[in-house]
Amino acid sequence: MKLGLRWPEWRLPDRVGWRDHVIGAALGLAYVLWLVATARSLGFPRDEGVYFHAGESYVRWWRLLLTTPHEALKPNVIDGAWSFNSEHPPLMKTLFGVSWWFFHEQLHIFQDASTAFRLPGMASAGLALWVTYLFGARAYGRVAGLVGAILLGLMPRVFFHAHLACFDVPITAMWILCVYIHWRAQAEGGYLWAIATGVVFGLALATKHNAWMLPVVCIPHALCVHREAIGKGLRSGQIVIPSSLVMMALLGPLVMYALWPHLWNDPLGRVQAYMQFHLNHEYYNIEFLGRNYFSPPSPKAYLPVMVVATVPSVTLVLAAMGIGERAKLGALRAWSWTRSWVAPAAEERPKADAAQTDLLLALSLLVAIGPFFLPKTPIFGGTKHWMPAYPVLAIFAGHGFALIRRRAHRVLEPRIGKRVWRVAAEVALTLSILLAPLLTTAHSHPFGLSAYVPLVGGTAGGADLGLNRQFWGFTSQTAAAEYLNAHAPRGSVVFIHDTTWDAWSRMQQEGRVRSDLRAAFAPGEADFVLVEHELHMNEVDYSAWVGIGTDAPTYVVQHDGVPIVSIYKRR
Amino acid sequence: MLVPALGLVEVGAHLLQADWSVPDADWTGARQYVVANASPDDLVAFAPRWADPLGREHFGPTVATLAREARPDEARFPRAFEVAVRGAHVPSLTGWAKETVAHFGRVTVSTYRNPSPVRVLDDLVALVSAGSPRVRASRIDGGRETDCSYVRGAPQTGGLGFGPAVPGDRFACPGGAFVGVSVVADLDYVPRQCIFAPPSGATLRVRFRDVAFGDALRGHHGVYVEAERGKTGAPVTLSFKVDSGTIGSVVHRDGEGWKSFEFSTPNLRGQAGELVVDIGSSGDRRLYCFEAVTERQADVP
Repeated sequence: MKLGLRWPEWRLPDRVGWRDHVIGAALGLAYVLWLVATARSLGFPRDEGVYFHAGESYVRWWRLLLTTPHEALKPNVIDGAWSFNSEHPPLMKTLFGVSWWFFHEQLHIFQDASTAFRLPGMASAGLALWVTYLFGARAYGRVAGLVGAILLGLMPRVFFHAHLACFDVPITAMWILCVYIHWRAQAEGGYLWAIATGVVFGLALATKHNAWMLPVVCIPHALCVHREAIGKGLRSGQIVIPSSLVMMALLGPLVMYALWPHLWNDPLGRVQAYMQFHLNHEYYNIEFLGRNYFSPPSPKAYLPVMVVATVPSVTLVLAAMGIGERAKLGALRAWSWTRSWVAPAAEERPKADAAQTDLLLALSLLVAIGPFFLPKTPIFGGTKHWMPAYPVLAIFAGHGFALIRRRAHRVLEPRIGKRVWRVAAEVALTLSILLAPLLTTAHSHPFGLSAYVPLVGGTAGGADLGLNRQFWGFTSQTAAAEYLNAHAPRGSVVFIHDTTWDAWSRMQQEGRVRSDLRAAFAPGEADFVLVEHELHMNEVDYSAWVGIGTDAPTYVVQHDGVPIVSIYKRR
Repeated sequence: MLVPALGLVEVGAHLLQADWSVPDADWTGARQYVVANASPDDLVAFAPRWADPLGREHFGPTVATLAREARPDEARFPRAFEVAVRGAHVPSLTGWAKETVAHFGRVTVSTYRNPSPVRVLDDLVALVSAGSPRVRASRIDGGRETDCSYVRGAPQTGGLGFGPAVPGDRFACPGGAFVGVSVVADLDYVPRQCIFAPPSGATLRVRFRDVAFGDALRGHHGVYVEAERGKTGAPVTLSFKVDSGTIGSVVHRDGEGWKSFEFSTPNLRGQAGELVVDIGSSGDRRLYCFEAVTERQADVP
């Protein structure tokens, strides 16, 4: 029976425009909604508790500035509000606080204060997907952009960190936004794009210190794009500097300074202290291949192994295909350019990309990961510290998919006549590459730091390899949900191990942990002991054996059969 | 079409791996088998190492005892029951003869025979742990020896960096020094039940009365991982003496980890007498621990 239904015929114009912003924004919004929907099952990592506190302090000062500015601008009042956690820049903590103030305190949109605190971080993840789509669409076509953005969101570690009121996903978003705006500034010219580049660079500086490396991406790229104008200028005795770079140099620090009152009382001294903190950062413990690293030199294999073990394999293969194709084209261009010097006009040269997109993306990727091959770079953050590389990796993966799709079209179109089958083939092809990232990402929650991809055997495979199980002490919430809330006698004392007091008390305020359970900081003082498994935390485990009088846990929180938290009960 | 195929293989692999776990019934079956067949002298060990908490949870403290979990090594166990998942193996049992294998779902229990077991005559850790009247401790400062009184109480513990638990039952010495049995994380984060005796800039002396001597005095010593791994601490010297003289002494330097030592005692074989153990170091935070046994080579059946 023929129903007479027809697929709606709609086609986007060739030129990427406002409709693509709608697509990117919709993609980002869907991701944010997914994050909000899953936020309550994720406990609070150590750092979040600190940033919640900082957010409250900072927003209190901003409110004071609006109501009694002369009081707020007193040096001691500024320092009183902004000295807390001054080792990290202010933008996200301010946004955490603002979001908490409006969406929880004033508008009561979120019942959990924590969700309101976390919203800006989640929104930054949405922004990262949006920009990734736009960048990919403009660089290599809409399919590349769309699939790239989706694959970025379907990286289990990105999904985990995107939930948090921390800085790693926000700097990922600001990084790719800055690179994108810089790229547009080179292509479009004009002061507006240049100013936008400077402002976004400033916002990135105010987000996290990874932004210090953005000039290493933007300067060589801009010099390459404008090399002819720069050379011409030099020959006529002028120094030509691309306007976007000038704006980065001028507006970048200015924006950071404006947003960070902590700097106002002693700008140079405090910037120096901020930089010194990160250049001489403490080395925390992290397990890699069964060994605990706590000091330099960091293992050079850390980044490659962790990327392979945590990013879905199909995404990496697609990215390798995309990079390979672009590298091949680049090599052809270079070869043709070299030949043109030897035998001018001997052959037609491949069309050059005036915006040097491939170079920019390659720089963005390499600069984001480069420091992690240096022996002195701490590796304690697992994969989160090189996440700014992932949007570009995803764009290349999207491009890899577009190449496959093109080939599939060439092969299948002559063989499949009916449109419906062509659509089915298209859907099947897309699902074949998105399904594994989707399933592994959804399954990893809320153990995103424990989960590893199927290539290395999943969570158990990661444990077999001796890869880090978790950090930050957030799994105490799961321990409460699975055992303590139901079994601990009223008023029990619980050793909360790596969980901070701030995090524990907030979990109690929000009803995630029973409010009568009292936190202890020594296993020997507790009725129940939590041990969050990490290699270097074994010492706490053994201390608990003596302190509580047994080495046998009464319950073990597991993810895919791998111990995450042991719960001991005093005998 | 290789990449879409790879994507589907990844989906399949994920579905196989997701929600993998060992059912409680498998652990229970394995436990019943081990309880029925293992003697108190046998080792029960779990593999892989990350599965140890699950093994302890299901086997309980009467089977997964501290003596087995925090063993100094495997030499004293004539036989081992290896309880393994995912085809893992306890590396230190390599070279032992496999005798039996039994499967309980996803858990495999293999028994191994120790090719060269030793027979323990006296275990210094057990003597201190039991609060035996055969043990006395003292602190020596500049030639002056002060007795340490034996106290019973609650252990002192803390979070990361606190160090090993200070045992509740211990010899409490002047100046905050003590001697007692605890479990220390060695340089590889492996648990070691041993005599925790931080010298605190002085010499701690532990006297063991009526010790039965055999062919050798053998043991291990080490420093709590966070106090040792920076390799900046002063060495710790451990020496063993009897009435007739020194049996031997050994120095532990940071970075050596859980270090073994052995002194032959053929002249003392069959005798019993007082063993005096001195622990000394000039450094601070020497969270030092040792264990030693007198032993005789067991007859291999």
